[in-house]
Amino acid sequence: MKDGVISKQDFPQFLNHLKKNAKVFAPVVTNGEAGFKEWSEEDSVEFSYSNLKLSPKGLFFPQTETILSFDAGSVEEVPSHEEKMVVFGSRPCDSRALTFLDKIFSEENKGYNDPYYMNRRENAVMISLACSDPCRTCFCSSLGSGPADEAGSDIVCFDLGDKLYLKAVTEKGELTIKDAGKVLSPGDESVRKDAEKQTAEALESMNNLEADLPSVKKNMDDSFDDPVWDRLTRNCIGCGACTYLCPTCYCFDISDEERMYKGKRIRTWDSCQYASFTKHASGHNPRKNKKERLRQRFMHKLSYTVENQGEVFCVGCGRCITQCPVNIDIREIITTFAEK
Amino acid sequence: MSAEAKNPYIPYPVTIEDITIENDARDLKTFKLVFEKPEHKKAFSYLPGQFAEVSVLGMGESPFGIASSPTEEDYLLFTVKLTGTVTQELHNSEPGRKIGVRGPLGNTFPWDRMEGKNILIVSGGFAFTTLRSSIVYMLDKKNRDRFGKITALYGARSPGELMYKEALKEWQEDSGIDLTLTVDREPEVPWDGKVGLVPNVLRELKPSADNTLALVCGPPIMIRFTIPALQELGFTEENIILSLENRMKCGIGKCGRCNVGSKYVCIDGPVFTFAELEELPAEY
Repeated sequence: MKDGVISKQDFPQFLNHLKKNAKVFAPVVTNGEAGFKEWSEEDSVEFSYSNLKLSPKGLFFPQTETILSFDAGSVEEVPSHEEKMVVFGSRPCDSRALTFLDKIFSEENKGYNDPYYMNRRENAVMISLACSDPCRTCFCSSLGSGPADEAGSDIVCFDLGDKLYLKAVTEKGELTIKDAGKVLSPGDESVRKDAEKQTAEALESMNNLEADLPSVKKNMDDSFDDPVWDRLTRNCIGCGACTYLCPTCYCFDISDEERMYKGKRIRTWDSCQYASFTKHASGHNPRKNKKERLRQRFMHKLSYTVENQGEVFCVGCGRCITQCPVNIDIREIITTFAEK
Repeated sequence: MSAEAKNPYIPYPVTIEDITIENDARDLKTFKLVFEKPEHKKAFSYLPGQFAEVSVLGMGESPFGIASSPTEEDYLLFTVKLTGTVTQELHNSEPGRKIGVRGPLGNTFPWDRMEGKNILIVSGGFAFTTLRSSIVYMLDKKNRDRFGKITALYGARSPGELMYKEALKEWQEDSGIDLTLTVDREPEVPWDGKVGLVPNVLRELKPSADNTLALVCGPPIMIRFTIPALQELGFTEENIILSLENRMKCGIGKCGRCNVGSKYVCIDGPVFTFAELEELPAEY
C-alpha cells in the first residue's frame, strides 16, 4: 500500500496507531505558538501554519545534548538513541534540510559517523505536510525544490480540507502506511489529482528569484573582498538568530560540566556569528568582524557546501528573513550575486 | 573495532607518565602519555603532521599537534603552551594523572611525495612540535634511506626558548641531518648558533630548492616572511608545505568552526601546500 486517506476527524486514530511503536511528534499549539511536541491523545494537531517557528532539526540534533558522561575520571558513553520516532507535520523544506545534515553527520563525510544524530535519523519516520499556501518569504522553488518536495520525507501528507492524503515516498513510508491499513482507506485517483492540483497551485503562487545558483556561487567566490559586503552586512547586530532558526545550520560547541568529579561533556548549538566561535586561545581571530562573520554564513551556504557537499545549504524556508531583527534578507544576497 | 573506537567523540584513556618543562618562560611543557589499553595504542596509528584532541574530563578538550614520532612506539608526546582552561589544567598536573586522547586526527605531512626528496625544515617557536615528530621519524634507521639530504633551521627568541634541547643536541651530532639553530638577538649566555630571524638566516644558508620539499611551521609573522625567502631560493608553491591552526572543537569535520573557505583544517588539513592556501581566503 503506497498511499492512504484519512479524515481529519479520524487522524488521531492514525497517530495513536503510530504511538504503539514510537514516540510521535506533531505540531501542537502551546502558549499561542505551534511547535513540535510529543503527541498524546489530549493534544489537537495543528494544521494551519505556513511553517513552524522551529524546524524539526532539534529532534535529531538537540540544542543541547550529552555526548558522554564521566565519574571520577572514567568515561561512560551515553546509551545510543535507538528509540523509534515518528515526526508528523514537518514542511517539505525542513525535511529536505535533514538530507543536508545527513551528509554532514554521516560516515560519508570523511569517514566519521556521528552516532547521536545518525541513530535518531535511522530510527525516525518523517511524515511531511505539503504546502498549500506558501508564505511570501518562502522561496523553496528558487532552490530546486517545491511545496511537495519528497527529499527527506518517508511520507508526504496533503491537507485536502476535511481529509488528509498520505503518500509514501520511501520503503519505510510504505511499511508505515501498510501497517496502519486498518485506520487508513486506500488512496484513489481523485485524491491523487487533488493533491497534484494543490501542489501546482501552491507552486504557481510562489515568487521565483530566477537566480542561476552556479553563477551566484561563482560571483560570490570572485567577490570575496568586494566592498559590496560592507553594504550587505552593515545592519547586522550579530545576534545569531538566523543560525539558530536555520534548518541547515549545524555548527556546535563542545563543553564540559562538572561537579565533584562527576559530570558530562555536552554539545550545544553554536553560531558562526559570534566572535568567540573562531577566536584562537592566543587571542588571534580569523573572523574578527561582523562583516567577515556574516559573509562566512552566506559563503558557507551558497558556495562552500556546493564544493564540499554538493549542495546549496539553503532550503528557502525563509525563517532567517522573517526573524532577522534588522531585515537582512538572504534572497537579496542571492540576487546581488546572481548574473543579471 | 571496539565499541569505543566507533564513537569518534570518546577519548582513549591515557596516563601522564612524564612532564618536561621546555623553556625558560616555563609556559611550554611536554606531556608524555601512555595508553592504558594495548588495543587503543594499536588503534592510534599515526604519521607525523597529524594532531589529536587532548581531553581533561571536566575541563574540556584542546587540539595539539603530535610531537612524538610513530617510531617512538611506547608513548605519545604533546607540547602544550599555557594559554587557556585546558592547558592550565594540564600544566597543573602531576605525572600519574589520567587524561584522555582522541585521534589521530587530520592529514599528515605528504610522506608519499617526500619519499626520495631532500627535506628542508624551517620552524620558529613552539610550532616545532610536528616537525620534531617528522625529524625523529626520518632519522629512524628504518626510514633514513627513504629521504635525501635533511636540513633543518629552527629559531626561537632566545636559547632558553628552544624546545627539545636534548634532541637538538643529538641531532647536531647526527650526520643524517644538518641542523642550524638561531635566536632572534645576541644572547647573554654562551651561544654557538646563529643570531637572526628565521627568514634572514634562511637567506644566508641558501639551501638548494632542487628536488627539495620545505616543511614550514611557525608563528604567522615568521611564515609571512619565510615564504618569500623560500620563493627567492626557487621553491615552488607546491613544494612549500605548511600546517595550519584554527580553533577547533570536534576535530572530525562536524562542528563547523575551523573552516578556511570550503576546507576544514581538521579533516582537509592541518597540512596544506602553499599552492592550496593561495586558493583559499586568508581566514586562519
